Amino acid sequence: MPIYLYIDRGTFVHRLHPTVKVFALFVMFWSVYWVDNPIALAPVGLVMLWIAQLTDSWPNFYRLRWLFAILVFTTTIAWMVFYRRGAVLVNVPIFHVSRLSLVFGVGRGIKLAELLAASVLFLSTTKIEEFTYGLQRIRVPYRVGFAISLSFRLVPLFIDSAVTIVDAQRLRGYDFNEGGPIERVRRYVPVVIPVFMGALRKANNMAMALEARGFGFSHEPTTFIDYPVTPADITAFAFLIGLGALYFMLYWTGLGGIGPLK
Amino acid sequence: MSDLRLMWRNTRMVVLCAISAALYAAVLVPFKVVPLIPGVTELRPANAIPVVCSFLFGPAAAWGSAIGNMIGDFFGGVSPGDIFGFFANLAYGWIPYKVWELIGRGQSPISRSPLGILKYVIACLAASVLCADLVGWADNVLVIRPFAMLGNVIIFNNMVSALVLSPFILAAVYPRVKKGRMLYTDVMPEVKLKPVGIRAFGFALLIAGEGGAWIFGNLLSTGYWAPKFIPAWMNVAPYDKPVAIIVGPFILLAFAGLFMM
Repeated sequence: MPIYLYIDRGTFVHRLHPTVKVFALFVMFWSVYWVDNPIALAPVGLVMLWIAQLTDSWPNFYRLRWLFAILVFTTTIAWMVFYRRGAVLVNVPIFHVSRLSLVFGVGRGIKLAELLAASVLFLSTTKIEEFTYGLQRIRVPYRVGFAISLSFRLVPLFIDSAVTIVDAQRLRGYDFNEGGPIERVRRYVPVVIPVFMGALRKANNMAMALEARGFGFSHEPTTFIDYPVTPADITAFAFLIGLGALYFMLYWTGLGGIGPLK
Repeated sequence: MSDLRLMWRNTRMVVLCAISAALYAAVLVPFKVVPLIPGVTELRPANAIPVVCSFLFGPAAAWGSAIGNMIGDFFGGVSPGDIFGFFANLAYGWIPYKVWELIGRGQSPISRSPLGILKYVIACLAASVLCADLVGWADNVLVIRPFAMLGNVIIFNNMVSALVLSPFILAAVYPRVKKGRMLYTDVMPEVKLKPVGIRAFGFALLIAGEGGAWIFGNLLSTGYWAPKFIPAWMNVAPYDKPVAIIVGPFILLAFAGLFMM
């Protein structure tokens, strides 16, 4: 069962320094955060589409296509309930359908979709090792970084064992979709217990193996992986600074707002 | 608070943290049972894991819950609100055993007495409400989603798993873990509890803070209450500023209480 989004393509985005990739994710969040207007959100969306094409990340976007659609739709609907401003266009109970609430809702929906797209691009082009290296560079303690990377490594193992148990129970005629929502949650008890016990059996051996290899002996352990800073990293960094600054200016000048309110 | 820091010195606790996180993410990613708000949240059996792990592994489960949720977010997309989601899930895994240490009085969490069940519900509810408050507050302040929408759904979601799934898993797992001397009290005996009076005061602050945050978060984000002391230009949808100004201190109060426990 494929769970990771990483796609190994070797493009220049894939080869960027991990710290630049983490910074790129931050700049995308920053840029999207400052503006509300769907039109102002378009340029950063186009940049993401361009990067998706460049890095061949389309399979991941296709995989999450429904999530994107549902996210925009439910966010628009939700804000039409809670954002009760502007002249009402159509009388619908509970909802406040006005030009303002529609623009605001659609803007929020696109905003969330762009945040999701930024994270999909990040995960499509960044390995777990690079992510944990990036964490160490921003001074996250080694033991915390190690726990995060170990957790990432263990997830596929536990998912595999959970899926095997689900299949085994289904073969015995156990129906996970029977009953109402609460009953359906309760039916996962026979799955979770064996996965849990299997995981606990590993814990003791894992701790002993780690200590036998000198885990915790040094606060700054050595590493085989080295990420040199290249001219491409500096260029990408400068571009990202420009993009972040541009979006802050859009907010500052009021061009990123929705109509006369800002 | 010292338990959250001290656990990183213990290799076994680091491993238990990674296992709690991986278990949470492993059940979170493939098993999403019923969508509550499509694209936002769904009824998920994984929410039972942090509660179970909390009673078993204490502080390791708190970090495990935070990391596990972060891994789950990585498979479905991250947003700025997920930084707060990290701390909200830290609280979700941290509160049950802290509250149980205070109100459980040495009782086993798998006790089936009416009082034992009531204490268990209080511990889970305290954890769920603070988790929901923090995520709801952050999303409303960042104008991603309204507090009233997310805050209540998270409480419901967490409580369903904690009440419907966790007791069964705990009943099956707790005796075995205890026999194997893998409970956090066995793995980390060096952690000493604070005096009962301080912990009880902390618990009172926690309840007052999270209860206040939940009530005012709902009133403000739906526009039912427009405080007079806040300028009129702030008291408009999406109510991000009133929620930030009024709900924020209650959440801080709740965390201050939690740190005292």
